[in-house]
Amino acid sequence: MSKPPDFRFFSLIVRNLTNRPYRNIATVFAFAIIAGTFFSSQYLMSGAQQSLDTGISRMGADILVVPEDYAGAGQTVILSGTPSSFFFADSGFEKISRIHGVAKASPQIYIATLFASCCAAPVQMIAIDPERDFTISTWLKKNPEVKIGKDDIIIGSAIIQDVGKDLMFYGHTFHVVGVLEQTGMGVDNAVFTRFEDAYVMAAESGEKAVKKLTIPEGMVSAVLVKVDPGTSPAAVASEIMTQVPGTKVIMSNGLLNAVSGQLGATTRILYSASLAVTIVSIPLLGLISVMVAHERKKEVSILRALGASKSFVVRLMLAESFSLAIIGGFIGIGASAGILMIYQDFIRITLKIPFIIPSPTAMLVQGGSALLLSIVIGGIASLYPVFLITRSAPYETIRGG
Amino acid sequence: MLDNKYLNITIWQLLVTMNSDKMVNGIGALLVLLGVVVALTSWIIFPVCEMHGLYVETKTGTKLPMPCGYTARAETGIGALIVVAGGLLLARGTRETRQAVGVFSVATGVLVILFPTFLIGMCKLADHPCRQLTLPGLEILGIIVIIIGGYLLWKRE
Repeated sequence: MSKPPDFRFFSLIVRNLTNRPYRNIATVFAFAIIAGTFFSSQYLMSGAQQSLDTGISRMGADILVVPEDYAGAGQTVILSGTPSSFFFADSGFEKISRIHGVAKASPQIYIATLFASCCAAPVQMIAIDPERDFTISTWLKKNPEVKIGKDDIIIGSAIIQDVGKDLMFYGHTFHVVGVLEQTGMGVDNAVFTRFEDAYVMAAESGEKAVKKLTIPEGMVSAVLVKVDPGTSPAAVASEIMTQVPGTKVIMSNGLLNAVSGQLGATTRILYSASLAVTIVSIPLLGLISVMVAHERKKEVSILRALGASKSFVVRLMLAESFSLAIIGGFIGIGASAGILMIYQDFIRITLKIPFIIPSPTAMLVQGGSALLLSIVIGGIASLYPVFLITRSAPYETIRGG
Repeated sequence: MLDNKYLNITIWQLLVTMNSDKMVNGIGALLVLLGVVVALTSWIIFPVCEMHGLYVETKTGTKLPMPCGYTARAETGIGALIVVAGGLLLARGTRETRQAVGVFSVATGVLVILFPTFLIGMCKLADHPCRQLTLPGLEILGIIVIIIGGYLLWKRE
């Protein structure tokens, strides 16, 4: 006589799930949609937030002062790296340095490079004063072997070139000495060089470049300001605009608001979709569970008649529901994460937001919460069938058919 | 007279075989469809840069395709091969054919992904259409072809 198959709790769950493949696939698909949409919303918000935090900390400044008429362009340079050139009088920088509450002030010149061909997009060149700069110098301190000297540039992560190679702007050759880490913000599309090299480039551009570049002497594009510890950046910003007319200040919470506004519409749609799917899915999944419970009445009654306790049957029903929820959750989260990572560039450019892939820890938390939502919905959907089963008497059920 | 037990087993095997044949035919048809989609993705569905008028221009004025153009041509060939594999499965769904098509599908699926990423590549600029849409689309299609090939290999009977 052949040995009977092992009768274990988990093997029973697996057999029950594989017995109704098409219905269970539909249930798994529903859970996958719920988990996927919820995870996608969190992923987008987290990616944008992390990019903003990294980018702003890279900027190192509490306040960015730009000409009043170019406040929008200044914000776009920081957020998306769309190249721009604008100036205001350097005398403003001197005034800003002397304002009470200003710890450090660093001038920068923004130069938009030329559009050469299909494969050479314009980049934002940012000329800095290495003596007074506190943005790139922070990065240089972490990379002490990198020295920015004559005709040297440090490039953002999105610029296509390697360290040790050359890049040409306005006919002037620069040597790449360092590549910044990815921030998902405008600085990824920027190259940093010294003031002196930018002026030489401009002077030679008439002969060497397709188009002459003019950098007015004594003018800067922006001033980065770091305030004294304990001082309110808003108060200092207000003082700057009062003492230096014709300027506008950009602060980190202003950038946050700009990004939140752009991203807000998309994430609202995603969260609404998650909510709608959840609201529709709970009764739908509940209905499916009730149908399955009715179909399996006899089966459950036989189990009870064989000696299975009510709690065993309840655990079996819940375990099956949770199994489907977990499988669907993993599939939904995995598929969403894969698609969002693959389409990262498309998302960033289409939505016009700073965006990088969230850290593994953040993604684990997001995935965990999406999975938890699936499990909770699975539990809620199986409550009524469990109640139904616990109330039925095996003998009457088997006899009644 | 046949024993009932043996008759039942034979009928059961017949039913299983019929269902299995339907599934194999479905997978064959799916492979044919996927092959067509892979071939058309770079030209119609998510067109590469040259379909948007973007070329590399030499000093003599000659316009040449960028890397994405060559990738598109390679993907057209790979797509045709996937169509052939699907057709073979439709024509002859034996166990050996299924396994062969399974191996072939996994290999072609890997190539669908490798051509735009490592073997030939796409444009480097992130805002080019080939980078934003064509590359991710091909990666997803490649993964689907690999999954189908893996399923054919796993489902031996």
